[in-house]
Amino acid sequence: MSNQLDTLILMANQIAANNSHYGTEAEAAERVRNHLKKFWARSMKQQIIDYLQNDGSELSPLARQAIGDLDVRPGI
Amino acid sequence: MLQYFDPNKDYGTPASLSEKLVTLEIDGVEVTVPEGTSVMRAAAMADINIPKLCASDNLEAFGSCRLCAVQIENRRGLPASCTTPAEAGMKVWTQNDKLARLRRNIMELYISDHPLDCLTCPANGNCELQDMAGAVGLREVRYGFDGENHLDAEKDHSNPYFSFDPSKCIVCSRCVRACEEVQGTFALTIDGRGFDSKVSPGQNEAFMDSECVSCGACVQACPTSTLMEKSVIDMGQPEHSVVTTCAYCGVGCSFKAEMKGDQVVRMVPYKGGDANHGHSCVKGRFAFGYATHKDRIKQPMIRDAITDPWREVSWDEAIAFAAKRLKEVQGTYGRESIGGITSSRCTNEETYLVQKLVRAAFGNNNTDTCARVCHSPTGYGLKTTLGESAGTQTFDSVMESDVIVVIGANPTDAHPVFGSLMRKRLREGAELIVIDPRRIDLLKTPHLKDAQHLPLRPGTNVAIVNALAHVIVTEGLEDTDFIASRCDDKAYQAWREFILEERHAPEAVEAITGVPADKVRRAARTYAKAPNGAIYYGLGVTEHSQGSSMVMGIANLAMATGNIGREGVGVNPLRGQNNVQGSCDMGSFPHELPGYQHVADDAARARFEKSWGVKLDDEPGLRIPNMFDSAIAGTFKALYVQGEDIAQSDPNTQHVEAALKSLECLIVQDIFLNETAKFAHVLLPGSTFLEKNGTFTNAERRINRVRKVMPPVAGKEDWEVTQDLANALGYPMNYAHPSEIMDEIAGLTPSFTGVSYDKLEQLGSIQWPCNDQYPEGTPTMHVEDFPIGRGQFAITEYVATEERTTSRFPLLLTTGRILSQYNVGAQTRRTDNQVWHDEDVLEVHPSDAELRGIQDGDWLGVSSRSGQTVLRARISDRMLPGVVYTTFHHPGSGANVITTDSSDWATNCPEYKVTAVQVEKVSQPSEWQQQFRSFEQLQHQLLRGEKAESGAS
Repeated sequence: MSNQLDTLILMANQIAANNSHYGTEAEAAERVRNHLKKFWARSMKQQIIDYLQNDGSELSPLARQAIGDLDVRPGI
Repeated sequence: MLQYFDPNKDYGTPASLSEKLVTLEIDGVEVTVPEGTSVMRAAAMADINIPKLCASDNLEAFGSCRLCAVQIENRRGLPASCTTPAEAGMKVWTQNDKLARLRRNIMELYISDHPLDCLTCPANGNCELQDMAGAVGLREVRYGFDGENHLDAEKDHSNPYFSFDPSKCIVCSRCVRACEEVQGTFALTIDGRGFDSKVSPGQNEAFMDSECVSCGACVQACPTSTLMEKSVIDMGQPEHSVVTTCAYCGVGCSFKAEMKGDQVVRMVPYKGGDANHGHSCVKGRFAFGYATHKDRIKQPMIRDAITDPWREVSWDEAIAFAAKRLKEVQGTYGRESIGGITSSRCTNEETYLVQKLVRAAFGNNNTDTCARVCHSPTGYGLKTTLGESAGTQTFDSVMESDVIVVIGANPTDAHPVFGSLMRKRLREGAELIVIDPRRIDLLKTPHLKDAQHLPLRPGTNVAIVNALAHVIVTEGLEDTDFIASRCDDKAYQAWREFILEERHAPEAVEAITGVPADKVRRAARTYAKAPNGAIYYGLGVTEHSQGSSMVMGIANLAMATGNIGREGVGVNPLRGQNNVQGSCDMGSFPHELPGYQHVADDAARARFEKSWGVKLDDEPGLRIPNMFDSAIAGTFKALYVQGEDIAQSDPNTQHVEAALKSLECLIVQDIFLNETAKFAHVLLPGSTFLEKNGTFTNAERRINRVRKVMPPVAGKEDWEVTQDLANALGYPMNYAHPSEIMDEIAGLTPSFTGVSYDKLEQLGSIQWPCNDQYPEGTPTMHVEDFPIGRGQFAITEYVATEERTTSRFPLLLTTGRILSQYNVGAQTRRTDNQVWHDEDVLEVHPSDAELRGIQDGDWLGVSSRSGQTVLRARISDRMLPGVVYTTFHHPGSGANVITTDSSDWATNCPEYKVTAVQVEKVSQPSEWQQQFRSFEQLQHQLLRGEKAESGAS
């Protein structure tokens, strides 16, 4: 696993931990997903999506739930 | 706006704020003034200028020189007009034979003990004593000049910027009063009585040995040449002046650059500046010499590899080289493989242009600014809760505050002019609460009435803010009317339920924060019960793994207590650099277009696409730390850096250096060969704030004009260089002046639609939002509603930082700034400010020092999981035991070699304020420092065009 991916996993887990107290688990996951959508670059999103699809073991349950439904726009 | 030198009128005493008017007659002229106005000021308002020496309109009336005596109908004697309030129906005469005799007598006494060297005196042409001698018609000095006098008094040249010649002192006390009333330091006093009276720094010390902070208020106040700028002594009096804006901290002081031709003689704080009202600090007033320093880069340079000598080339060749390399990188690695970074030291127009270059010409959103590493959590936190990424008040608002809460900020060092204003309010009786691991100087304010200090452990801000909120809610101290009328009920109820949990009680978090519960309860009550409670915060809030949560926690407190939407209250981020607010406003962040409009907002993007004539990416780009990671991973290959020194200011230096070395093209535009430029392939000369036109936006959202006073040393203002690069890349830009860039900004940014250079000329400055609804700007925000409708309480769960002490790293390092140096020090290190701080030191608590056998001045190895550096020890009890402190103003110190890449969860703002370290005595520099020195030596050799010696790398 690359250092860059390690950092992205750490960041995703941090975002999840800081949003875990918002409503139900589904609501919290939605907040985390929205955060990633709004602030992460396309390449970062793609890497974390790929990681979840291939492994995902180091992501917290909330982060996994959020990233599961994350998508990336193709761009210009 | 070029103004030939005409010093501002001095009305003698401060303005009265009374709304009640009184009418009186002065020399037969009817004058109407606010009640409480002095007779002297009333006369001055009618252009009747009463002679004066001890009076100045930035100081309270003193009544010591007696030169301003007047005659008033039905009053005995000749009262001083400065201390006599104007009254309705009063009849005043300012000139008659009796007054003339009195004034000449007074002047005779002054001049009998004054050197008569006017023609060779530095104040010649700008001396109030000389002016008054003329005004009163002094023709003789009957006492002669042979009596006892002070003409042999010893001069004090200890301060690098001004001299003190007591032989010329008339003991008017203006300097002493300026130090007390304007600056609030109380470093000066009048020592002795009667004839022996003399101005004394400290206890008859030299200025440099006293508590003087070299703000220069005394120099400005002096009516003679007793206190005089050395630059004036050297160069003579200036002949014209230009009003501009300081390029140091986020206060954004207005200055008159007083000039001789294109040379700055001195910088004089401009009384018309709404941020500073004629005051300044040692940096703004005196530390401008870097602009003409020999180290300035004066010619564009290029090279193929960072081990090659630099080659001086024409602008055209440098720009063509840069454009070609950028295109080649994109051709090989893809559209998203390049990006740009701007600095908060740049103007609004420059930062706007760089993000436009990235989005429109590079074709991606990989644009960021150094606000990433300071106040990005403010942007996130305040936008989420209050709906706008900005502070809510004016600086002057603090004068209406009853309780001032300062969290993680050190205003007297980092925002000195606002620190002085805050101290003024504290002297008037406002209460102070400081939440900070260090005992900051504000707590030592002379005549401070009541102060509470909550010295929390670094990294526990959110636990404290939740505890404060818990007390407010459980003790019924909320402003229920404000919450019901202004805040979203669902968000509030969810927050209330969260904050009521017993785990947030001060008693429950005491073990986490280290702050006794009773202190937290007292602070919460003090803030909540205050008629006006204001919170000011700085990087001690934002530069944490929970920086954004803490900003939201602060907004929660303000909303819960109704401290929003009027003078004297609010949430006030103290922005570090001069244009942090502006660089964020201008769309420098990768996810937001100018005016905080998200790139995924189709309507906003469509407006920009139409104006810019290109299709824009709808996904956010990389932030600075993400750029570094991608560079090391091999997917990010070229970077354009304007005015920022990421190699020195960003955390985990070795990681940053590895990223910069990974780039195939690094373009640096800067005034010096900074640390980042040592890794560059293209070096484009930057221009200082004195060499260009533009605007800065300060911490109170105030847009101020920056005006060119001298030509750019390399011939181009910074915005012109960006424009050239865009054109070379095939994206046309054709601005003739920064005002045209501002016009474009106004057309695309809802909060700026009313801003133009013409309006700035008319109004002096504008606080945004400035649009149809607020045509002259908005001093206080959120008066009636929030931009998002209702205020959104945010749930701020405390999540402990991963950066924790261990047996290997048992101490916590926190970093900060000091008064005399600025940020990476590139500017201030090239001035005489060096005399105050020529190296970064490590402050260690006496108990930690004793445990390790450390003495003051010892060399200490400081190690963290990121790296090691060596700093000299200073024993200090300003921090708690277990906490050490340093600054990062000198690159060789390597303070950021130790800081880690731990960052804020929402914004990636680095956690500079918490690093677990070990400290031990050592005898030599660290390995990194040794490498740094040899690399620095190599790069200076290459700058001179010399080839590297064999084996160097």
